[in-house]
Amino acid sequence: MTRGVRDTSTAVAFGDFVAQAHAAGRLVVQPRMGFSDPGQMRSGLIATKLADATTVGTITLDSYTRVGANGEARRALDEGVALNGYPIVAHEPATTAAVVEGLRGRGFPVQVRHGSAHPEPIVAALVKAGFTATEGGPVSYCLPYSRLPLRDSVDNWSRACELLAAVPDAHLETFGGCMMGQLCPPSLLVAISVLEGIFFRRHGLRSVSLSYAQQTDTAQDEDAMRALRRLGHEFLDGVQWHVVVYAYMGVYPRTPRGALSLLGGAARLAARTGGARLIVKTVAESARIPTIAENVAALEHAAREADRAGTAPEGDADSAVYLEARAIVDAVLDLHPDLGRGFVRAFERGYLDVPYCLHPDNAGRTRGHVDGEGRLAWSRIGALPIGHLVTPPRAEGMTSATLLTALTHVERTFDSPQLERTAQMTPPPSPQVHLASPVTRTVMRIQNTALAAAREYLRDNGFIELLPAIIGPVTDPGGRGSKQVDVDYYGHRYKLMTSAILYKQASLLGFEKLFYIAPNVRLEPPETASTARHLAEFHQLDVEIAGAKRDDAVQVVEDLVRVMVDRVVTTMPGELEELGRDKDAFADLLAGAFGRVTHGAAVADLRGLGHHQSADAEIDWEGEAILSHKSSRPFFITDYPKGSRGFYDREDPTQPGILQNFDLIAPEGYGELCSGSEREYEYARIVARMRESGENPAKYGWYLQMVREGIPSSAGFGIGIQRFVRYLAGLDSVWQASAYPKIPGVVSA
Amino acid sequence: MELEKKKFTVLVSSVASDSHTWNLVFLQLLLEELGHRVVNIGACVPDDLLVESCRLHQPDLVVISSVNGHGHHDGARVIGELRSRPDLVGLPVVIGGKLGIGGVDNARHTDDLLRAGFDAVFDDSAGVDPFREYLGALGSLAAVTA
Repeated sequence: MTRGVRDTSTAVAFGDFVAQAHAAGRLVVQPRMGFSDPGQMRSGLIATKLADATTVGTITLDSYTRVGANGEARRALDEGVALNGYPIVAHEPATTAAVVEGLRGRGFPVQVRHGSAHPEPIVAALVKAGFTATEGGPVSYCLPYSRLPLRDSVDNWSRACELLAAVPDAHLETFGGCMMGQLCPPSLLVAISVLEGIFFRRHGLRSVSLSYAQQTDTAQDEDAMRALRRLGHEFLDGVQWHVVVYAYMGVYPRTPRGALSLLGGAARLAARTGGARLIVKTVAESARIPTIAENVAALEHAAREADRAGTAPEGDADSAVYLEARAIVDAVLDLHPDLGRGFVRAFERGYLDVPYCLHPDNAGRTRGHVDGEGRLAWSRIGALPIGHLVTPPRAEGMTSATLLTALTHVERTFDSPQLERTAQMTPPPSPQVHLASPVTRTVMRIQNTALAAAREYLRDNGFIELLPAIIGPVTDPGGRGSKQVDVDYYGHRYKLMTSAILYKQASLLGFEKLFYIAPNVRLEPPETASTARHLAEFHQLDVEIAGAKRDDAVQVVEDLVRVMVDRVVTTMPGELEELGRDKDAFADLLAGAFGRVTHGAAVADLRGLGHHQSADAEIDWEGEAILSHKSSRPFFITDYPKGSRGFYDREDPTQPGILQNFDLIAPEGYGELCSGSEREYEYARIVARMRESGENPAKYGWYLQMVREGIPSSAGFGIGIQRFVRYLAGLDSVWQASAYPKIPGVVSA
Repeated sequence: MELEKKKFTVLVSSVASDSHTWNLVFLQLLLEELGHRVVNIGACVPDDLLVESCRLHQPDLVVISSVNGHGHHDGARVIGELRSRPDLVGLPVVIGGKLGIGGVDNARHTDDLLRAGFDAVFDDSAGVDPFREYLGALGSLAAVTA
């Protein structure tokens, strides 16, 4: 304990450190890091200090300590159970002093972050351990996370502020810029942040920070930052204050690229608008508690982005965000000379009313939504004192379905379209660069392993591999607007194979179970170049089984996919790591059965989510991406309506109009990997189906002649190899999984 | 007689250890869209508060939602509390969400929770349709027996 206190005397004050960095034009970056093990906590702080960025340290507390359950925290420590943060009350002061021994010297202040509506024991413990900086607030640490009456939280925070303010160099940050993390329009975030800053000042703090959490729209966020700083000047003159930005606090992107891109946006927001400090999020945010290394990577990424950000133009000083926030602040300050009692009264009257907050003291009469331009807007303002400034839309903006869409707006914006946009912007390099790149070489080795596993599995199960035809007088009529390539064959117009289906059915006459690894050429519409999932030339692992039913084929797909994934995950962990592919991505795939949903149910699901999907057609690209993102394991869509697929998919005799077919959809937005079906094999039915789908039976001479003489019933499928390898390797775009990529509409090697 | 779907008073709640609220907001909107009246008592609800709220609001249905992975544990405890009160023995109470931390255990949790006294269990892997169907069925049943 004495060591802790001695440390303080040499430590630079938190507020001074940030002010000096800000004056020097450097954004201070800070993790949200907390480990229960003192050794790991110290390692995290050391790594933060040594990161290539201007940093301050963080000790984030665990949830037992937040709710005052220090006995539980102590028991967990005794039993060696890891907690989700550092239990500063349960640990001995000497233990905590040892965690920061020698670290808190000049140039590395450490802040304690918690989230408690009962902050006094925590503030007492952190002061005792020599810390002077923490965060919270009577409103922002009560409403979202606690059932404690606001009145009690105000009392607790009044006393905690006074306890902290008695310490030299004390600094307190308001968490008011977060409030539920999402769907709260910025003016209310700014107002609460400023009001809590004023509350801190009135309770004796001389150094405070005002927070703002990144929301859905950059321009609106910049307005909010300008509004927050202007209000800081108007209300906090005479105390030291700065603005801290939180990287997005809602549903976070799941792809590393999406997560980094969103973090970069937060860093640029802070740097461009006079923010002095940024609390980062990591690429692991959506999945688990991040590692120390992931935290450091995030800090350094944010620092680089901030360095390059420049300065935002002045903007409108009297923006809507400023005017609304100022009106709320003024109205609340007028309620009572004691701001604590003013807060209680403001929530009673609905002058403060946080959208979607279920705390018993929150009126719950306001709602926010993401508008057509991607900005946060009010759909109801309840009794907020901004009626003269805001006219909410007449129609209620939010339904249960649009709520889900709104909550994942940022995640979706930064995940799939981000990948697709990136893929569009970065075309394949020259063949020599592409083939020699370490990524291509690793990906091809993964493909080689997967195919070896597939061949082994199929051979062990009685399949024979045939070599596929490349050209023929007729081929699969295809779908979704792709065109066939003609070749001049001694004066006859032949086709490059768009799929091996016709030859597969023919081969059943000699082989009951067969497969190809077959090249296909389909001239997909040029606009599919940007989907990250289309190649004009690709390969399929094509399988056909005589006498089989649809569900037999589904079972083989499932086994085959699992065998290939398992082989790669087991034998190539180093390669997957090199590509940044988390092998936990396949845990659900390897553990249990794949999901299964009918086309009808998928359409209903999509419509429920507000996506306009036709019931009579293929699931469109966007719909497929939405479903794919929703799932954590591959799943089958079965029973497509007739008209959406080729003539060879068998129509269900018991459900006319429904095909006995399936697609396999990968999770994480990778989309369709495989199509298959039970096949039509009777002459009359095939001719009828050809006519229904607008095909001229006369073109299919050899095929129909053969069918007329009789072919076996069968079921089969084709797995798109490049798409499958893309999913396995976690690649941004399917062209990276081809040695010689041909992108639709792009002239290349 | 024309069968009319009954509109319910539905009590929406989380369990004591779960501070998530967006799931509760979603359920409230969904139930309101289906025409029901909702009393949403929010997150981190202690067992005795849930018991009191059932007595105070006299709901037709209680919907408990939890997504922190401890729902099977908290759920089994709180349904025991509710079912031990003679006046709440027959109250329809269902639970749903991410009730376990995943994998094959979730099927076991469903059985355990049904045995513990829930009228229905909705694991989130099946989506929201089974819950809608349950509400629909409950509505027609109420109309027939009313």
